[in-house]
Amino acid sequence: MTAATAQRSARPSRPPRSLIGPIGLAVFLAITWWAASEEFGLNVDIPRLFTNLTRGAGILAEFWPPDFSVVPRTIGPMLETIQIAIIASLIGCALALPIAFLASRVTSPNLATYLIDRGVLSVVRALPDVLYALIFVAALSIGPLPGILALILFNIAVVAKLLSETVDGVDPGPIEAARASGANRLLTVRWAVLPQVLPNYVAYSLYAFELNIRASAVLGIVGAGGIGNLINEYRRFFQYDALSVVVIEIFVLVIIVEWISIWLRRRLV
Amino acid sequence: MTGAARRPTRPPQRAKHIATALVVVVVAWAALTVDVKIERLPDLPGDLARIFSRMFLEPGPEWSYFGEALDWMMQSVQIAWLGTIIGAVLSLPLAFFGAKNITSAVVSNVVRQILNAIRAIPEILVAVVIFIPMVGLGAYAGMLAIGVHSVGTLGKLSAEVIEGINPGPVEAARAAGGRPLQIQRWGVLPQVLPEIVAFWLYRFEINIRASAILGAVGAGGVGEALVQSLIYRRYDRAGMLVIVIIVVTILIDTASGWLRRRIIQGGGGAPQGDPEHPELVETAPAGIQRP
Repeated sequence: MTAATAQRSARPSRPPRSLIGPIGLAVFLAITWWAASEEFGLNVDIPRLFTNLTRGAGILAEFWPPDFSVVPRTIGPMLETIQIAIIASLIGCALALPIAFLASRVTSPNLATYLIDRGVLSVVRALPDVLYALIFVAALSIGPLPGILALILFNIAVVAKLLSETVDGVDPGPIEAARASGANRLLTVRWAVLPQVLPNYVAYSLYAFELNIRASAVLGIVGAGGIGNLINEYRRFFQYDALSVVVIEIFVLVIIVEWISIWLRRRLV
Repeated sequence: MTGAARRPTRPPQRAKHIATALVVVVVAWAALTVDVKIERLPDLPGDLARIFSRMFLEPGPEWSYFGEALDWMMQSVQIAWLGTIIGAVLSLPLAFFGAKNITSAVVSNVVRQILNAIRAIPEILVAVVIFIPMVGLGAYAGMLAIGVHSVGTLGKLSAEVIEGINPGPVEAARAAGGRPLQIQRWGVLPQVLPEIVAFWLYRFEINIRASAILGAVGAGGVGEALVQSLIYRRYDRAGMLVIVIIVVTILIDTASGWLRRRIIQGGGGAPQGDPEHPELVETAPAGIQRP
C-alpha cells in the first residue's frame, strides 16, 4: 500500500529535452538581428525611433479637425472605387470558376492541366495587387482600367484557390452516380460537383468583393483610379485635414460592405 | 401513390428574384458609368502583350541587375519580419483582453471592436496617413505601418484561439494558488502558443506582399525599385524585379507553410479554421471542407 502510494506520487520522469525550442529561438534571433542590423538590415535604432515618433506626433494634430467641406469632391472618386470593385469582382469570380475546377484533382481532366493550373495560380498569387496595378498603369496609363485588371487577377488567385480546395473535399457519391449514368466530364462537374460547392463559391465571391473594396480604395495611390487618386493629391499638398475625411469615408465604406457581406454569407448557410 | 409521385411545391422565389434584380441593377450601373473608354478595349491585349514582352522576352529581364533586385527584395523581407514582430508583441496582450473567457464580455467586446477598426484600414493607408508624416519616407514607416495593421488580424485570431482553450489547466493553476498573471502564463499560454505562433508566421507571409507594396508610396523595399524602373521605362529591370519578387515570395511561403504545419501538429491541437483567410472562419458555410 505504502509502496504503491509512493510509486504513484513519484514524479513522472521528465520528457527528454528537445532541441527544437532552442534552435528555433536561435534562428529567430539571427533573422531579427539580420533584419535590424546596421550593415545588413534596416539599422533599427529604437531610441532614435522614439524621438522620431514623439517629434512626428505634432503632425498628427493637423489631421484634426477633418475638413468636411471636401466631401462633395470625394463622392465621384468614391463611387469609382465601388465601381472598380464591383466590375473586378464580377469578372474575376466568373473566371475563377473554371480555373478552380481545373486546379482540383477531383475535376481536373489530367495531371498536366492540374499541375500547370496550380503553378500559374501560385505565381499569380505571389505578386500583390498594387504591383499589378503599377505595371498595368505603366502599360495602359492612369484610370480605372488598370485597377480593374489588377483586381481581376487578385480575385482569380483568391477565389480559385479557396474553391479548388473546397472541390477537393466534395462528396464523391454524386460524381459516381453521374458517371454511372453516363455523364461526360463537363456534365459531371455541372450536376454532381457544382451544386455541392455553389454556396461556398458565392461566399468566397462575397468575401473577395469585401477585399476588393479595401484594395480598390488604395489602388488609386499608384494611379489606378478611385479615391486613392485623391489620397495622393492631398498628401502631396499636405492637406491633412482633407486626408482625414477620405480616411473616414474609406473606413465607413469598408465596415458597411463587411456587414452586408457577412450578413449575406450567414443567410447562405 | 399519386400523392407520393407529385412534385413538392417550389419554395417561394420572390426573395431570390428581388436579390437578382438588385445585383443586376448595381452591376449595370457600375459597368455603364465607369470611366473606361470602350473604344480603347480592343487595344488592351496588344498593350498588355507589349509590356509583358518588354519585361520578360525582348529585351527581357536584365540579369546583371539580379543582385540589386535581390537586395531590394531582402529589404522588403526585413520590413515584413520586423513589422510582424511589432504586430505580434502588441497583439498578444490585446488578445488576452479580447477573449471573453479571460476578461468580461464588455472589455472583450470593446477590444474586439478596436481590433476590427484597425483591420479595416489597409497598411498602405496607415503608412501614408500616419507613419510617413511622422517618421518620414523610408523603411521605418513601412515597418511601423505593417506592425500596426497586423495587430488587427493577429489580435482577433489569437483572441479566438484563447476562447477555445480547455479550462482544466486554468482551474488547476487557480487551485494551486496562482496569481492572475501566473494563471495566464501557465494555464493559458502553453495551450495557445503553437497556434498563435502559426498565425504569426502566416502574417509574415502576408506582410511580405504588403511590404513589397509599401515601396510604391516610398515606405521602403522592392516596390520603390519597381516604381523607379517603370517611371524610367526600364522594363528590363522591372521584369527582373518581378521575377525576384515572385520567386522569393514563393520560397518563403513554402518554408513558412511547412513550419506552420509542423508547429500546429507538434502542438497537438487541430488547426482551427483556415489561417490563410481568417476572415472567412466565422461565416464559413456549414460542411465546408478544408484539406
